Amino acid sequence: MSSTPTAREARHDRIELALVANRLRSIVRTMSNTLYRTGRSGVLNTARDFSCAIVTADDRLLMAADSLPIHVLSGPDRMSAAMHELHPELHAGDAFLHNSPYHGNSHPADHSLLVPVVDADGRHHFTVLVKAHQADCGNALPTTYMGGARDVYAEGALIFPVVKIQSDYRDIADIVRMCELRIRVPEQWRGDYLAMVGAARIGERELLALGEELGFEALHGHAEAWFDYSEQRMVKALQRMPAGSAVGRTRHDPAPGAPDGIPVNAAVTLDPTAGTAEIDLRDNDDCYPCGLNLSEACAGTAAMIGLFNCLPDTVPTNAGSLRRVTVHLRRGCVVGIAEHPTSTSVATTNVADRVTAAVQLAISELGDDHGMAEAGGFGASCAAVISGRDPRAGDRPFVNQLFLVLSGGPGNPQTDGWTTFCHAGNGGMLYVDSVEVDELNFPILVRAQRIEPDSEGAGRLRGAPSVYAEYGPLDTELTVIYAGDGHVNAAAGARGGQAGARARQLRRDRSGELSDLPGCGEITLRPGETIVSLTAAGGGYGAPMQRDAKQVAEDVREGTVSVSRARVTYGVVLDADHRVQVAATARLRGEAEDGVRTPPEMEEAVQ
Amino acid sequence: MAEQPDAPGMTFAIDAGGTFTDLVLDTGEDLRLFKAHTTPDDPVEGVLDVLAVAASGMGMELSELLGRGHRLVHGTTRAINALVTGSTARTGLLTTEGHPDILVFREGGRSEPFDFSIGYPRPLVPRALTVEVPERITAEGKVFRTLDEARLVAGIAELRAANVEAVGVCLLWSIVNPAHELRVGELLEQHLPGVPYTLSHQLNPTLREYRRASSTCIDASLKPVMAAYFSSLESRLSAAGFGGRVLIVTSSGGMLDAADIAQAPIHSINSGPSMAPVAGRHYAALEGGHDTAIIADTGGTTFDVSVVRAGRIPRSRETWIGVPHQGHITGFPSVDVKSVGAGGGSIAWIDDGGLPQVGPQSAASQPGPACYGRGGTEPTLTDACLLVGHLAADSFLAGAMRLDVDAARRAVSRRIAEPLGVTVEEAAAAIVAVATENMVHAIEEVTVQQGIDPRDAVLVGGGGAAGLNLVAIADRLGCPRVLIPETGAALSAAGGLLSDVSAGFAATHVTATSSFDFIGVARAIDDLHARCERFASSAGVAGEVSIELSIEARYPRQNWEIEVPIAVQHVTSEAGVRELAAAFHRAHEQLFAISDPESEVEIIGWRAEVRAATSRSADRRTVRAAVAPSGGARVRPIYIRGEGWVDATIADVDQLAVDATVTGPAVIGSSFTTVVVERGFAARRSAAGSLVITRTEAA
Repeated sequence: MSSTPTAREARHDRIELALVANRLRSIVRTMSNTLYRTGRSGVLNTARDFSCAIVTADDRLLMAADSLPIHVLSGPDRMSAAMHELHPELHAGDAFLHNSPYHGNSHPADHSLLVPVVDADGRHHFTVLVKAHQADCGNALPTTYMGGARDVYAEGALIFPVVKIQSDYRDIADIVRMCELRIRVPEQWRGDYLAMVGAARIGERELLALGEELGFEALHGHAEAWFDYSEQRMVKALQRMPAGSAVGRTRHDPAPGAPDGIPVNAAVTLDPTAGTAEIDLRDNDDCYPCGLNLSEACAGTAAMIGLFNCLPDTVPTNAGSLRRVTVHLRRGCVVGIAEHPTSTSVATTNVADRVTAAVQLAISELGDDHGMAEAGGFGASCAAVISGRDPRAGDRPFVNQLFLVLSGGPGNPQTDGWTTFCHAGNGGMLYVDSVEVDELNFPILVRAQRIEPDSEGAGRLRGAPSVYAEYGPLDTELTVIYAGDGHVNAAAGARGGQAGARARQLRRDRSGELSDLPGCGEITLRPGETIVSLTAAGGGYGAPMQRDAKQVAEDVREGTVSVSRARVTYGVVLDADHRVQVAATARLRGEAEDGVRTPPEMEEAVQ
Repeated sequence: MAEQPDAPGMTFAIDAGGTFTDLVLDTGEDLRLFKAHTTPDDPVEGVLDVLAVAASGMGMELSELLGRGHRLVHGTTRAINALVTGSTARTGLLTTEGHPDILVFREGGRSEPFDFSIGYPRPLVPRALTVEVPERITAEGKVFRTLDEARLVAGIAELRAANVEAVGVCLLWSIVNPAHELRVGELLEQHLPGVPYTLSHQLNPTLREYRRASSTCIDASLKPVMAAYFSSLESRLSAAGFGGRVLIVTSSGGMLDAADIAQAPIHSINSGPSMAPVAGRHYAALEGGHDTAIIADTGGTTFDVSVVRAGRIPRSRETWIGVPHQGHITGFPSVDVKSVGAGGGSIAWIDDGGLPQVGPQSAASQPGPACYGRGGTEPTLTDACLLVGHLAADSFLAGAMRLDVDAARRAVSRRIAEPLGVTVEEAAAAIVAVATENMVHAIEEVTVQQGIDPRDAVLVGGGGAAGLNLVAIADRLGCPRVLIPETGAALSAAGGLLSDVSAGFAATHVTATSSFDFIGVARAIDDLHARCERFASSAGVAGEVSIELSIEARYPRQNWEIEVPIAVQHVTSEAGVRELAAAFHRAHEQLFAISDPESEVEIIGWRAEVRAATSRSADRRTVRAAVAPSGGARVRPIYIRGEGWVDATIADVDQLAVDATVTGPAVIGSSFTTVVVERGFAARRSAAGSLVITRTEAA
């Protein structure tokens, strides 16, 4: 291998760079695989609610695995900086536990582990970072999403601002014991902690080996070249975007502490000539006395997700490509920099998803075939944190987050909404639970899980439909805690696309009667009762009347769209075998384009 | 059916791959290799063609050659091709009411968060052909809702009206209480007579409804096409004079009688590729007693990697038809073969940021690499190998095809060298290096991530293009030794000669080490043993029969089980349970570098594999084509990155004496492949005919 110190000098070092970038990518993938396969809680081993990244010694995000978007765009840099500030001296064998949203972490339920990669001469070269959502983090209630918490004290979780948890590769048992006393189901937490340590140490080992093989000087040279390369890719992508400024607006549902909901605006300016993008979130409300405020990491990342979703090409996500993106945040703003003791318990999902949506909607204003619709909101009861005691196992207590299917993918210029999208900050990366595995692990029965017809945000490219799920306890009581969005404010369509169906939660009593539940709730179900969850559907992109009639027919055959909706909303006439009646469809669509008839309002999606 | 393991007669092992159909013929005294083109529209024709090539090579009539055969082992891509091209049966799904979207939701997952160009995948069976069955059983096997037969019969009538040609049945928890699924089967016999169906608890009694439903529907959809194929194969072979036994290679690296596999054709999906590690294991043991090996099989469009760990061939449950999260999961253990789009035809290109990339696009066989002179203008790995001197223009495929150096040079120059501002040779060397890195990545996925350290493994190469950069790959991975067996060019077919008749059986029975259910486990294991013994007696093998048990286990609340072989045949005491737990902790430590010895272990599933040895081909040698000795050592310049043009020794493997050594840089050719030996390595021909390449100096 070459030992050229700065890879930028000669053009043929592109070749070395291609090889080294592959090596770095391989390291973060190996870390991810370890965590996924060994984690104990559903949020890790099913939902993949974790991320692995490499950060340079001077706090720049170098490489992240293809993990949840909300985890990695902004945050690793801030966390690394906080580590330096609080621990000026770093040693091989150190590991830091970090979950403080006031020091670069996303929210307290995401435990991060930072391991400085220090060579034999004691020089710090990189930091590997593993972040994993915990099944429980010691909140006052058995949930990791404390939407109603008026401040961090009401949340109740222990906050670790870059606290040393390993020294010389051994646990500092005091810290571990604190966690074990505060976190529910401590052996599950300990299992997840072990998995995180395993992943971080594997990353450390591989980076040290790579540095030794290439020489650390050369490796740092390649890192610089990788940043330059990524920036170049970003410039090329931005050059293919429309120029201009627009403001996207959306609104989170009413919530405890925010009775009118939380309006969210994003002002986006794209300059293809300069190859830059600017997102301004400062013109938004101050923090609310609840858990929905965003941490600095989540506000920045949510805005960037909106931009990255709309780029015409995939671009590496690191400090290099991010040089071309400016996000303006304000201290004390609900979508800005929350300061201690403001609560950010729900920072990774609800309001963050609205920020992403506002950016997408703004970009869609700037030109056809750009931007995208809004994704369906997070937090329906099919993804609730459930807890109780399992009568099949001697009343052993359990608490875990369910991940039945959350749909909600936004219609976009290229494709229909992704059916298992989950929410904007997840981007469909999670795996969903097997019904059989859930029923094996917990004393519940999932009565149904299926697509809800006529719920999709209609459009030229439609949003993903809602999913209907119904479950309840078997021979025991079950506590269900959820904090949802999209029950009042539907996911908006873009460029003539329609909104997706709203989310809805209901309780079915023992006689079979259904009654509505609020969008956020702490519910106890008795034996024989069930909870019904309808997830928020994704918004559509472009006018439904322009949707390919064959696609509409396919949606009808597959049960996503009814015959009457095909006719009324999409202007597509089908025969008894659900084939397109071409002439009748053209006539109907001609009428519609003349504006003679307009599609009626979306119907509610529950039978 | 019954045969003696050492019955006299010839054995034919035929692997019908994407491009070539390979035959390794065991005459009873030696081995011979033959190749013919694969005939995708009617693969049986390719099988008969390669037998005809062999007959003519042996100076016999085809009927005479076939008349001497007592066994034919066949690896086929028929099933996978039918699935990939969508030419399987129109299949319906019967599933538990309330859960009609099992195949739509799958298990979630998406490849890249910011890439919206890929649409949501269509389900294996459309919703329009999915019928909900009013019934429900709980995780404990209790009937929560009784089966409504009247409504079920109405549902079956819907499938009949929709003209389905096959039916998959997958009900929740049929794996702990199959009563409802069995009754659905009876009613299908009655109301949809003659339409093949598959019951999930019989085919694949494992946890997780999506995987089970997917395997069930794949299996059902293959039944008509595969039954027709195997029947055509047997009748045409019989008409041509073959009176022996026809065995089909299975995805798990064993063999089954053609009639048996027609009953569960999903087992033939990975038929073919699964044989490469069987051959690799044999040669790794033969050449120095290695029990850990990495097997790399390189064809025209793909690079297939598999491993042997501690003498075992690990199996993966996550076998996908197509790309993970976009294709369909088979839900079945299969020999863990990782396939990447990095073959000789992979195209090199420069991305938006100016970095050279290779693949996954391929020039395939049409138009093929630029140097094939068939109109290809994109630079491929083969073109790059030609330009750096690894391939010679006039000796490709033993001179059967002349390569066009100028065309290769034009393609590499225009697409790679000019944009990068480097010489054509430097660009070509970069293409080889990037392709090598892609292959290294594929190997890391099946080794490092499975807890195998490549530095302890021997790298075994097969396929026509394997030798071009296998030593470079070994160098990168730190493998101390590379092996190119003499049957390497037909590695999968060679594996067919070394394989056992085998079958696997599974049972779901959940228990934990802290409260071990001795009675229930004994019942499950006894049942597995009985099924293995029934299989062994019906397989009619007089040879040695072995049964290996394994558990699928996890730490409490882990979501993913790992398969751990256990040394015992029964678990009857607390000591036995402790042994089980210890085996699990060790396996977890090996796979993931951590274990939790204090923790209890949950056992979800039990598996048994029965194997019966049939073959005596292992000690036979290949007959080599007679080659006139050419005078003295030759040299040819090759281009090395960072050095430039240097003289490499050129040798022909057929002319190397046993234990003769060739020191790198060198290029060693044979009629089927070319092996590039890097500087710092030396190649030796072993007594068994393999090329053994080892490091001569520290990297």
